[in-house]
Amino acid sequence: MVARTLLSRIRPLAARARLFSRTYHSYDHPPPPGPFSSTESSILSASLPHIPSHGFTLTSLSLGAKDAGYIDASTNLFPQGPFALVRYHLMTQRLGLAEKTDSLETAEGAKPMGTGAKVKKLTWERLMGNKEVVHRWQEALALMAQPSNVPTSLKELAALSDEIWFLSGDTSVDTSWYTKRASLSTIYAATELFMTTDKSPDYADTREFLDRRFRDVQIVGGAMGSVGQWVGFTASAGLNVLRSKGVRI
Amino acid sequence: MALCSSARRSAILATHLPTYDFLLPCLLPRITHQNRHLSRSRRLYSAENDGAFANTSAKPLRAPKSAPEAASNPVPRNKPLTQAQRDFLASALRVNQAGELAACLIYAAQTPVVVVAHPHLRPLMKHMYDQEAGHFSTFNKLIAKHRVRPTAMYPVWKVAASALGWGTAIMGREAAMACTEAVETEIGTHYNDQVRWLLDMAEQMERSGEELGDDLKELIITVRRIRDEELEHLDHAVENDAQKAVPHELLTSFIRAGCRGAIWVSERV
Ligand SMILES: [Fe+2]
Ligand SMILES: [Fe+2]
Repeated sequence: MVARTLLSRIRPLAARARLFSRTYHSYDHPPPPGPFSSTESSILSASLPHIPSHGFTLTSLSLGAKDAGYIDASTNLFPQGPFALVRYHLMTQRLGLAEKTDSLETAEGAKPMGTGAKVKKLTWERLMGNKEVVHRWQEALALMAQPSNVPTSLKELAALSDEIWFLSGDTSVDTSWYTKRASLSTIYAATELFMTTDKSPDYADTREFLDRRFRDVQIVGGAMGSVGQWVGFTASAGLNVLRSKGVRI
Repeated sequence: MALCSSARRSAILATHLPTYDFLLPCLLPRITHQNRHLSRSRRLYSAENDGAFANTSAKPLRAPKSAPEAASNPVPRNKPLTQAQRDFLASALRVNQAGELAACLIYAAQTPVVVVAHPHLRPLMKHMYDQEAGHFSTFNKLIAKHRVRPTAMYPVWKVAASALGWGTAIMGREAAMACTEAVETEIGTHYNDQVRWLLDMAEQMERSGEELGDDLKELIITVRRIRDEELEHLDHAVENDAQKAVPHELLTSFIRAGCRGAIWVSERV
């Protein structure tokens, strides 16, 4: 009985933890194969240029297949249909961030960027990766929101925040690991949605929206952090006071 | 009462997960003999022969699932690690980090209490704490480097470990040492299983002509070194009358059961 309740408590926690499903990253071995075969990848990458005019649709996929030298029917390779395009876009954009870390280096002699600034910068870079398809992005969002696609979409979002924190050089491995990733995921998702309706030049409004979200989190995060610190401090201070009074604890 | 329900829980858990037959043996009275055996045998079978050492702790051997694939694929020099291998490595680093965090906190909570009554133990307590702090920072770095998710139960372990350290320390030196004895026995066994798994993996990769890679080679050396240090702590505890704690059996069984439960949870969550 006890075990049952214990297990049922742990399971949802484990599932939530698995969302951030980073597993061991090896530097000595090639990465494990991704979700798409090489044929699929070549069709998908040939489809990307068709998205601005044809959207995240089967039309883009079959045009891509044709461009890559396959027959139309090869879109049957994709049982998830146009969601494969969304997923491919998300993955390539996420993995492409690693090449943009040059922009995080400051000129010699200048003060190096802090982790927070790097996170902001990379988040912005990623948002700008949607620039070409932003007028089609609501189609992508609708596909991502379909129940069968939700787990993959959330995993992609979690992987994106993990990538951004990692590339920014964050090495914290305590509870803040989770809060950092969760808050960045929220900020990113909100800003991405905001961007679909932004008509301002160079997405100035989106930029401002993003800055505001980061400021909010700093305030909330700061408050949460200090509560934790306060509890810890009071507990240890209490112990020390008692000890100084000669209580043997 | 609490012990009773935790034992019942453990029995049920153990039937669910045959590989983790933890908690079951905690009620059997073979514990202390095995401890001495464990820590002495370390010297007999040191670095070269972990396979033989491993046999003394009667646990089922876990082989990586990749065995058939690895054998059937001739000589690709650098293949990706399998899902099973990566999962094992991730959960090993995660549970090690959580364990070392707990160890640091246990010693930190025990030290002031123990040292007031027994000033001569100060250097020993400090020595053990310093080693735990070293282990903790080693695994922190590895977790960050290999992008492994840390345990989600971090705050829970923090409270539990401090409470355990403080609680056993106010029960006296013997109880504090019995706590060390129990914890280090579990941790020593745990690291030992890990070393064995890693060596199996290394052997399999070698047989199929793959490179293990520097990181994994170093990991094996690190885990071995840390295991030896944990078993040293175990010896110190026994030298300092851990087994004179009253009620020794109950206390160590209880703590060991807790350790196995914590390991089980940290491997997953
Ligand atoms: Fe340790
Ligand atoms: Fe230790």
